[in-house]
Amino acid sequence: MTRHRQRWWLAGVALWTLVPIAALVVRALARAWRYPQILPGAGDAWPMFGAAATGRLTEALMTSLVLAMAIGPASAVIGFTIGRAIARAPRPARRVGLALALFLVIAPPTALGVGLQVATLAIGVGGTLFGVFLAHLVPAAGYLTLFAVGIFTTFDFVLEEEARTLGARPWQVWSRITIPILRRRLAEAVVLGALVSWGQVALTLLIGGGVVRTLPVELLSFVRSGSDQLGALAALAVSVPPMLAIGLLQVGIRRTGATL
Amino acid sequence: MTGGAGGLDVRGADVRFGVRVGLSAIDLRVGRGERAALLGPSGVGKTSLLRAIAGLDRLSAGSVSVDGRDVTGELPERRGIVYMHQAASLFPHLSVLDNVAFPLEVRGLSRAEARIRAMPVVERVRLGPLASRAPATLSGGQLHRAALARALAADPAVLLLDEPFSSLDPELRADVRQAVVELLGDRVGPAVVLVTHDIDEATGLADTLTVLLDGRIAQAGRPAAVLRAPQSLAVARFIGIDNILPGVRDETNVVTCALGQFPSAGPAGPVSVTVRAGSVRARAPGGRGRTARVVGTLERVSGPVLRVRIDGDDVVATPNTELTCATGDLVELCVEPSSIHVIRGSEA
Repeated sequence: MTRHRQRWWLAGVALWTLVPIAALVVRALARAWRYPQILPGAGDAWPMFGAAATGRLTEALMTSLVLAMAIGPASAVIGFTIGRAIARAPRPARRVGLALALFLVIAPPTALGVGLQVATLAIGVGGTLFGVFLAHLVPAAGYLTLFAVGIFTTFDFVLEEEARTLGARPWQVWSRITIPILRRRLAEAVVLGALVSWGQVALTLLIGGGVVRTLPVELLSFVRSGSDQLGALAALAVSVPPMLAIGLLQVGIRRTGATL
Repeated sequence: MTGGAGGLDVRGADVRFGVRVGLSAIDLRVGRGERAALLGPSGVGKTSLLRAIAGLDRLSAGSVSVDGRDVTGELPERRGIVYMHQAASLFPHLSVLDNVAFPLEVRGLSRAEARIRAMPVVERVRLGPLASRAPATLSGGQLHRAALARALAADPAVLLLDEPFSSLDPELRADVRQAVVELLGDRVGPAVVLVTHDIDEATGLADTLTVLLDGRIAQAGRPAAVLRAPQSLAVARFIGIDNILPGVRDETNVVTCALGQFPSAGPAGPVSVTVRAGSVRARAPGGRGRTARVVGTLERVSGPVLRVRIDGDDVVATPNTELTCATGDLVELCVEPSSIHVIRGSEA
């Protein structure tokens, strides 16, 4: 591909990505924006948000953040533990493990949610934040198990074995060898797990039963009630943190020089 | 085989590959300061045996003792056995010095103290100027020396070296081999078990040699004894004896083969005569030796050798320095009778 053509492709991709975000920003700032207006009129700028709506958004933002920050590390621990076991298992067990992890990822959240709803209600955590946490953990751990299988398939386990014969106990091997070597991958896994939780709607609605309200749930609620402006604002609030998380991850990787 | 005081004592060890028995009834005793080489073809189970001795895999039968203490059921970190993999696996996120300090730190020393104690070991392997470097910046030979230093810093009772030179080119191999000799020449040091399939490596480094063939110990002893007197044709073939000739022993304890007649006590019947090329000298005809025809010349690291034919058998011989000959020429063969070894049975 020539450099000239590359530039056109890049411009096309940038346009494809930025136009929806720009539209969201404009819509969030405008009180009204109706067809056939190409842009909102000057008099429609600077909206007045109601205190109630702002409170709902803030509360939902906090709920989403708490869930994501809990799901990220928890799913990374589960995913890496199971992924490591699957990667080291003999072939038949490995295939079964991979198929199960894959099922959690490819099963539609609504279908998965019905089963999880029954389970969470049975243990008395339906309609609670903890119940939603457990529900989000299922697909997040599935993603991170597959992620970890890929990592541990190429991991040099000889390093751990040599560390053991050099006198290190299993927890010392984890803390001094495995985790430091995989720190970049672990950071990526925590962010990925958090993002899986961050975007969940169906599982939150089914398990949270409308009591636990995360940002995507509020976004859906605003859009369904015709509050486009608040919907746009909620959509921005949903979109920006993942980009910040990825950006911070990249900066962290560059600063620590993590290589694996 | 009798080692010095303490060290490694493996008795009746069986190693399985899944449901199949890989090695059985393995006895191995290596005293402190002694170096033993395990020699065998690829896939015989040498590495599996080392891993089981180190506690990384299970023995299906038998016991492992270190300095008189039974460690068969112990965890790898409690055995006092360090296992060094063939790839010199330094921890990639630690510097050379921190790698060597690692075994001291996990035993409870502070990082600063461990580094102070590790530095002399790093200097012993001539890596002092590279102590702060990352493993990725070292050459293959330097990596191996650093891995050796790390193993020694652990002060093990037993050191297991799994084909330590196999991934190195010849020049680096000599460098690392020298490091092994220098570092492990100490008679109060660890008992060392070296796995290799290179006979020269084994004889050059080890005090004792154990040949593993077909899942068992085929022969064990001092390297010179094994090389001079292989107990079976399989061992003779494996250790690369150049000449294995069919012969016959009569009732008067004389063996007759293509190289002549030699005294050898034992039952009458077909035998195989083994002799290394270095013990069969070729010179210009005219003496009382047997005459053979040159069928080819081979260049070896140790010098040229001749392939000659005598009574229908091919023999590899070493030419005398003054001998000049070409394919088709006649030469006379001289064999020192003491270098002849006779094995019952024949290949034919």
